[in-house]
Amino acid sequence: MQKLVVIGAGMASGRLLEQLFEANPDAYEVTLFNAEPRGNYNRIMLSPVLSGEKSYAEIVTHDDDWYAGNKVTCRFGERVVSVDRERKVVVGEKGEVPYDKLVFGTGSSAFIIPCPGHDLPGVVAFRDLEDTTAMTEASGTPGGRAVVIGGGLLGLEAAAALRMRGMDVTVLHLSGHLMERQLDEAAGYLLQKDLEKRGITVLTKASTKMIQGDGKVESVLLEDGTVLPADIVVMAVGIRPQVQLAKESGLEMGRAIVVDAQMRTSDPSVFAVGECVEFEGNLFGLVAPLYDQAKVLAKTLLDEEDTFKVKQLSTKLKVTGCDLFSAGDFAEGEGREDIVFRDPARGVYKRLVLEGDKLVGAVFYGDTADSNWFFGLIRDGEDVSDMRDTLIFGPSFQGGATADPLSAVAALPPEAEICGCNGVCKGDIVAAIEGGATDLAAIKATTKASASCGTCTGLVEQVLSVTLGDEFVIPTVQPICGCCDLTHEDVRRLIKSKELKSQPAVWQELGWKTVNGCHVCRPAVNFYLLADWPLDYQDDPQSRFVNERNHANIQKDGTYSVMPRMWGGMTDANELRAIADAADKYGAAVKVTGGQRIDLLGVKKEDLPAIWSDLNDAGMVSGHAYSKGLRTVKTCVGSDWCRFGTQDSTGLGIKLEKRLWGSWTPHKVKLAVSGCPRNCAEATCKDVGIICVDSGYQIGVGGAAGMDVKEVERLVDVRTEEEAIDYTVAFIQLYREHAKYLDRPYKWLAKVGLDWVKEQVGDPATRAALIERFDISQSVYQKDPWADHVATRRRLYAPIADLTLEAAE
Amino acid sequence: MDTTLDTPAKTFIEVTEVWVPDGDRLKLAEGNYGGLEEFAAASRRESFAMGEGLPGKAWAEERPVVLKGFDGSYFKRTEAATAAGLTSAVAVPVFDGKTLKAVLVVLCGDDDERTGAIEVWHEQDGLLMLDDGYYGAAKHFEWVSQHTHFPRGQGLPGGVWSSETPILMRDLGSGYRFIRADSAAKAGLTTGLGLPIPVPGGKTFVLTLLSAKGTPIARRFEIWDARSARNGAANEARLIDGICAREGALWDPDNAGNERVVKAWQGAIGRVLGTGVPLVEGGKPGLANGYDSMVALPIHLDGELSHVVAWYL
Ligand SMILES: Cc1cc2nc3c(=O)[nH]c(=O)nc-3n(C[C@H](O)[C@H](O)[C@H](O)COP(=O)(O)OP(=O)(O)OC[C@H]3O[C@@H](n4cnc5c(N)ncnc54)[C@H](O)[C@@H]3O)c2cc1C
Ligand code: HEM
Ligand code: SF4
Repeated sequence: MQKLVVIGAGMASGRLLEQLFEANPDAYEVTLFNAEPRGNYNRIMLSPVLSGEKSYAEIVTHDDDWYAGNKVTCRFGERVVSVDRERKVVVGEKGEVPYDKLVFGTGSSAFIIPCPGHDLPGVVAFRDLEDTTAMTEASGTPGGRAVVIGGGLLGLEAAAALRMRGMDVTVLHLSGHLMERQLDEAAGYLLQKDLEKRGITVLTKASTKMIQGDGKVESVLLEDGTVLPADIVVMAVGIRPQVQLAKESGLEMGRAIVVDAQMRTSDPSVFAVGECVEFEGNLFGLVAPLYDQAKVLAKTLLDEEDTFKVKQLSTKLKVTGCDLFSAGDFAEGEGREDIVFRDPARGVYKRLVLEGDKLVGAVFYGDTADSNWFFGLIRDGEDVSDMRDTLIFGPSFQGGATADPLSAVAALPPEAEICGCNGVCKGDIVAAIEGGATDLAAIKATTKASASCGTCTGLVEQVLSVTLGDEFVIPTVQPICGCCDLTHEDVRRLIKSKELKSQPAVWQELGWKTVNGCHVCRPAVNFYLLADWPLDYQDDPQSRFVNERNHANIQKDGTYSVMPRMWGGMTDANELRAIADAADKYGAAVKVTGGQRIDLLGVKKEDLPAIWSDLNDAGMVSGHAYSKGLRTVKTCVGSDWCRFGTQDSTGLGIKLEKRLWGSWTPHKVKLAVSGCPRNCAEATCKDVGIICVDSGYQIGVGGAAGMDVKEVERLVDVRTEEEAIDYTVAFIQLYREHAKYLDRPYKWLAKVGLDWVKEQVGDPATRAALIERFDISQSVYQKDPWADHVATRRRLYAPIADLTLEAAE
Repeated sequence: MDTTLDTPAKTFIEVTEVWVPDGDRLKLAEGNYGGLEEFAAASRRESFAMGEGLPGKAWAEERPVVLKGFDGSYFKRTEAATAAGLTSAVAVPVFDGKTLKAVLVVLCGDDDERTGAIEVWHEQDGLLMLDDGYYGAAKHFEWVSQHTHFPRGQGLPGGVWSSETPILMRDLGSGYRFIRADSAAKAGLTTGLGLPIPVPGGKTFVLTLLSAKGTPIARRFEIWDARSARNGAANEARLIDGICAREGALWDPDNAGNERVVKAWQGAIGRVLGTGVPLVEGGKPGLANGYDSMVALPIHLDGELSHVVAWYL
């Protein structure tokens, strides 16, 4: 009999031995080394062992009887220290063994981030039974806290398991969403929500700086300064092939042991199988391909023909109650198309990625029925053009199921607020309907829902429809765009009542039919999110129009205009000198604008940071001439200089502009303050126009002087400057919170009615709350984009030809 | 895993019965009474209106009910039960939305040896608290449980609550939340089955069955996933987890979706899929792996039969 020595009793070599003994039990006399003090077990099931949903005994694949029955000499708990290929012997910690054939099955080891503190006791990986036991023991401390670094498969399985064991668990993930290699953003969002439902804290974009502790782990410090107390830190950031031994024995290496399609290494007597191999540049990390390798190697060792091929892989997360599946490639790309199906009520998201006539990728969350069928289509590269339209419904599609446009509303819990004005919840409306109020008028009369500003009318109708079924016919409405079935107003309300704080949350919970929205809905949703959740939501520049993205208006000839702010239209000699210098230096034309500003025209793209920087140095900030936000506050010279002036109109204008600048609004907002009814600042055609009079201030709103010309309507007359500012701020915040994106205030007023607006800003408590929310938002958004960009992104504006600079850095 | 089967002299649950609504009363559909013939006969004569007796109470109150000590209680079969040595009972209503499909009742006898636990947990202020439970001789464990609560995701009850899935835990002594683990180990509890009990109105209830080696609740447990989210349009279920004293592990070792599948009306589990009503069988041949009796309990969630849990003795 030939002598076969196997290094590593892992899942791959275990399967190899099974195949070998089955085909020919007498071909080899086997010696099996394993560094772990035990034989082969089902490593992938360590996760449920950690959670308590499996016992170790259950996951043992080969027990003592099996090894004895196959006459395997077991050297468990003994590491192989070297291989002498010349003498054909393997040197273990306790002595040598000669071989005719040698198999490396050494697998991988966990990658440990080499940050300070990584070697403190209490930092564990998740690879073997020892790690599992260490975690189980750590979970025995009452109130124990675990920090899991890495939000991939392993990390999340560890996190869920430790939570089951009673720990407080935080997952740190570097990327913007969980399992980014297997899932797209929407599925990552659902997964995060699911884990949070289990009481697990998930921090994305979280970068670990160091692990702290005196003699043992005590806390984890993040780059952003956050400190997370921890009794145990689990590193699950990736694996590395365990190939030091193979390397030292002089085999040909890439990133792992290089093998051919018969699993032969560069030495004809030496073979390798499992995660320690590299085949045609590929590394492996899931068991399915390892089993294929094991089958091939068994044949090779028996001098039979077989060839290993790399196949597509699919992924499932082993967290009870989380149904997710992903396979293939789902990156966006040229010539690729998506089919998306969402069912917010069931928390389902399905996405198929097609390239030409083939399915190349699939991501499913919440509904993984038929995933094996889809996987087959991907693996076999089948032509799916015939079933394209119904593909997403799976193999047994009968022509019935389609996405229900009402499912977002159906999914709302009874306590979700539908009418923000009158605080009416879905449950109240359903109760009213069940009590006999079967149309909109009756609902208005009984619950007051939709009886004030009316923006929730669409939602109330949908609740009627969901509750009454086909007895209620919803009037057709204009959805935002083809991506969804909801109007702007519905989306706004639902963002508030469902507390949706990210774009993926909106896409999923409101049943978007595209992966990421389109150029119509994205800017709108981006605005709604940042207006409603200034502290939670991060503005997405990619969802902005080009001028806003560039913080400048692109001109006819491709150059940019640069317009500094002049508070209330006031400037001084220094500013003018700086502007004149800038105009000279960058060759800009100079124009005095209708909004009492000076515009520098014809600035080249690459000069932008420099000119901004120069103007910044002179104390000026961006005038936001390009934004859907506060533009200008025009003023007249007012009581300081003018014989007719009744109040300090210039001073008020400056105060207003300093308070309001930087805020994003549904559309541009222009203000003006005139010192007396002669109205030199033309305040009566502005979004907010204030006329000073002897008795105080007349505040008008909803004027326009563009395609439509409209005179303002009187919002209120107030006595003091302070009140004038308060009412203005409250009005603008109300507009920010309620208007449809791209509705100027006059259009919005026409929909909700001036009376309702008067009622809102007229009520002291409501007014104060509006002002408070505006100020919170300003704490985030009132910053100069020029200074920000000069400081952080300067090199990005260099002309393309200057790439040499990049290389030198 | 002990593969030899020493059928235990005493089992934790002595009687299991299924009551189904028939008009405005609950009638006995089937039951496994062991050798307790007289109690069986008394039960066959019985029926319950809503609110009447233990099954009627579970129906009326729309919740699982634990009853310890029948004397002077609303229990209707006290005399026969006392004669049969039965002292406690748990009634579990099976609702499909607002419709009652059945009430499962288990009855236990009390002595110093029988150890195990049948617990009902309910949500209160964001935590799962023990509603009530029957523990047999596991008195210390009972006390510990009364003083434990589970946040979302923690322990067997918290895990069931947050995942809305039945869960089968092993080695209860080696974890399962520090305080209960220690005591569970001392009480000899090994395997725990937790399941959500959906009721109309959205209150949260979790039922747990904790089995000890000497006086087991069951020697084989199975969890079947019947959701369309896993099985598509087919009315079938797959065995996602299970453990058996004779067969060992009952799950897919490759995590590749190759679980055992049964279709509606195929065998006992198939019958539960077909009817949506719990099933109790005793003393019949043809049960899985030669067990004498089995109980299969369906769970209806979100408008469909989502899971079937089964236990065999
Ligand atoms: C918690 C967990 C969950 C997982 N879940 C999944 C899953 O759901 N699906 C999936 O497909 N994959 C999963 N995986 C990955 C899967 O377990 C691995 O792909 C697989 O185990 C690799 O098999 P292997 O035989 O190559 O290596 P291993 O199974 O790692 O075996 C290698 C063995 O070699 C031993 N060894 C190393 N060097 C020496 C030496 N010098 N001398 C002696 N012995 C040595 C090691 O001790 C080890 O026992 C999971 C992994 C973990 C850790
Ligand atoms: C040649 C390449 C580029 C040019 C010419 C360019 C030009 C500009 C200009 C002119 C602005 C306006 C700044 C202002 O008015 O304040 C801007 C803003 C911005 N740039 Fe670039 N840019 C380039 C590359 C990039 C790249 C590669 C990124 C991202 C990695 C980027 C991210 C941004 C962002 C996010 C903003 C706006 C930020 C905000 O709205 O706050 N740019 N860019
Ligand atoms: S609006 Fe009245 S105060 Fe202002 S400049 Fe004109 S006349 Fe003077």
